Amino acid sequence: MTFTVSNLNIITSDQQSLFTPLSFHIAPGEVLTLMGPSGCGKSTVLNALAGHPSADFSYHGDYYYQQQRLNDLPAEQRHIGILFQDDLLFPHLNVWENLAIALPNHITKSQRKQQALATLTSLGLPALADKHPEQLSGGQRARISMMRMLLAEPAVVLLDEPFSKLDKSLRADFRHWVFAQTQRLGLPVLMVTHDEADVPANGRCLHWPWPSDPDLASNLTPHKDNNHA
Amino acid sequence: MKTQTKWSVALTTYSFRLLVIIAICLSFAPLLPGLGGLLLAAFGYIPAIGQHALSLTGLQQLWLWPGLGQSITLTLFIGVASTLLAALFSFSILQACWRRRGWQHIENLLAPVMALPHVAFAIGFAFLFIPSGFGARIITLLAEVLSGATPGISNWSLIKDKYGLGLVLALTLKEIPFVLFMSMAVLKQLNVEANLRVAQSLGYSRAQAWQKIIFPQWLTKIRFTLFAVMAYSLSVVDVALILGPTQPPPLAVLVWQWLNDADLSNLGKASTAGLLLLLLCITALLSLRLGEWLLTRKWRSWQISGRFALPIVGHSAITVTLLTSLAILPILTLWSLAQRWRFPDLLPSKWSLRFWQQEWAYLWEIIATSAIIALISATIALLLAIILHQHNAHSRYRVPRLLIALPMLTPQLSLLFGIQVASLYLASNYYLLVIWAHAFFALPYIFMALDGPWRSYDQRLDKVGLSLGLSPWRVWWQIKRPILMPAIWLAWAVGISVSLAQYLPTLMLGAGRISTLTTEAVALSSGQDRRVSAIYALLQSLLPFVFYLSAIIASRHCGALARRAPLFAKPLAAKDSVKR
Repeated sequence: MTFTVSNLNIITSDQQSLFTPLSFHIAPGEVLTLMGPSGCGKSTVLNALAGHPSADFSYHGDYYYQQQRLNDLPAEQRHIGILFQDDLLFPHLNVWENLAIALPNHITKSQRKQQALATLTSLGLPALADKHPEQLSGGQRARISMMRMLLAEPAVVLLDEPFSKLDKSLRADFRHWVFAQTQRLGLPVLMVTHDEADVPANGRCLHWPWPSDPDLASNLTPHKDNNHA
Repeated sequence: MKTQTKWSVALTTYSFRLLVIIAICLSFAPLLPGLGGLLLAAFGYIPAIGQHALSLTGLQQLWLWPGLGQSITLTLFIGVASTLLAALFSFSILQACWRRRGWQHIENLLAPVMALPHVAFAIGFAFLFIPSGFGARIITLLAEVLSGATPGISNWSLIKDKYGLGLVLALTLKEIPFVLFMSMAVLKQLNVEANLRVAQSLGYSRAQAWQKIIFPQWLTKIRFTLFAVMAYSLSVVDVALILGPTQPPPLAVLVWQWLNDADLSNLGKASTAGLLLLLLCITALLSLRLGEWLLTRKWRSWQISGRFALPIVGHSAITVTLLTSLAILPILTLWSLAQRWRFPDLLPSKWSLRFWQQEWAYLWEIIATSAIIALISATIALLLAIILHQHNAHSRYRVPRLLIALPMLTPQLSLLFGIQVASLYLASNYYLLVIWAHAFFALPYIFMALDGPWRSYDQRLDKVGLSLGLSPWRVWWQIKRPILMPAIWLAWAVGISVSLAQYLPTLMLGAGRISTLTTEAVALSSGQDRRVSAIYALLQSLLPFVFYLSAIIASRHCGALARRAPLFAKPLAAKDSVKR
């Protein structure tokens, strides 16, 4: 269940490449980090992979999940889950509804609430079920947001500086928890950040300027040894 | 020295409070005699015709009137159908077009399309859809080309049809731009792009995300706009006179006819019907609110039931809306210049300026009257709106928004009825009364137009000014006013266009002695000569444009600020997306 990107190149309207063409594989349960200063195009990479191209850029390169080419699929059919800097919980829905909205279609009406509540219980947060997002703490919102993404059963996870807005004290905790979840589900994870501390121990990390080193792309050893749980 | 400052501060505070009280009195005083007079008259107390005893005669007369049930059904159908259709189509247009290719064009067209007065729209709409109208001409031409035969004029007409279908269609098309315009502010608050992005990462298509996630949020925020549309469609008289059914007409038209009846004994019936109209309106607004509550609160499981969406027709809806609205002015122009225009020719065979020349002398006078009333009443309403906004921005005891919106949400006829009765005692200067009534009805629109700018004004600038030692008055005059000036200009133009469009207040409080472009356009629309009718409708729509244009130019040249009126500016999103 590998996620592969080959020769991704993003070109601005004045014909400048944002970076040298980028290629990598991410194995199930593995975390690849793209580091870079703000404005270098980190988020643009994630937007391209997730299927939200901007009219200001032209995009080249191919992305695959297994053997399937993702480029031509609309965003909602790519099975790519994203965790953003902001939790972006839907403000008009309460907590369990925010979770239930992500459940796959085949789950029936009555089961949707049950499953959402079960998820909350597994998080140890059953008391939050009927609260609205604005009544939650930042850390709680972040967890709900992550669980919502996972309930939609993504095949690949993109993390867009997901820890940068959290309190320092919460950050390490939440980070460990996120990577424990993705590893438990065997999901390939691509993270962009500008904070060195976000990179999981033994996880691969590309520093700015990103190398287009072909060796790196062939380096497929999954790092099973980095246990955060 | 110190006491002097203290005194002047106190003076400023108290004089401003006094201003606020005067503003509130002027703005809302008409509501009391309006509703009180209506209630009294409905129960038989009409001193003007010598009835001093309370009775239920009016109610009895109304009850026995044979067309009442049909008229009520018709009224409710017209109000509910046009409101729901306008809401539905507006949302589907937003879903299909919001910030996508071509949205900028739609956004730019909304303001001019909205500026088209209802009456001119209705007259143009009639010219399009009467059996010998432009629509029929095109269909006939197509039929000729396709089959070779010339079909005769059909008997079926959308104009004044029994079920009010033409009226529903016209109101829907006219209100869609208004709902869209109000939705723009709503959607900017909602952070649509982020919502869509998250939804897509959860596997929702754009359409599904719009309907399941944006719709419930939009619906609660667009509530007051839909209330205004509903109240308007239920109680509209001028447009209904031009396009609506006649036997029986909708309730509002019925009240209007009875009021104008030479037989004064109809007055009791009229006032009871006016009260009924008010009650219908309240019921309809409450039902709308109930519907919203059911959809977004009570039965909300549909929102989280998964990835499903209804097919929508956004692109065709916006095309039809804009095409119809943009066709109105050319059609009116053609008719005003036509001397001979046989069916089914697409263009007149003989042109003439005769009708313009014939009306010209009289026209000037009417244009002047309309413009003067509009300028004075819009200026008064603008001052009142500014005072109310200033007060609401600084005081704990705010004037409730519902109260300010009340003139928009109440049937004009019901309010004016009581005011007219009361005015018999108060004043005999018709111009004064008409100007006051225009200002009263323009106030909520001006207040709304100033709402966004007032909210986005950075209060800290006031504090900085005060700390620099400026008096509150100077802070307002030298800091806040210049910054908000572009918005003030545009709000003024909005007020002018509202005043120019007033039909009932002008006629009822002017006792029929004041003629404006609007009253003449309505009066002439039932006449035989389409060319004269076209001239008045055309001028009725051009006059507000002149003021809008002046306001836009003024707003671009006022103040020392580099930031200009946002009317034609690119939306922020264009800039945001450049950021990586």
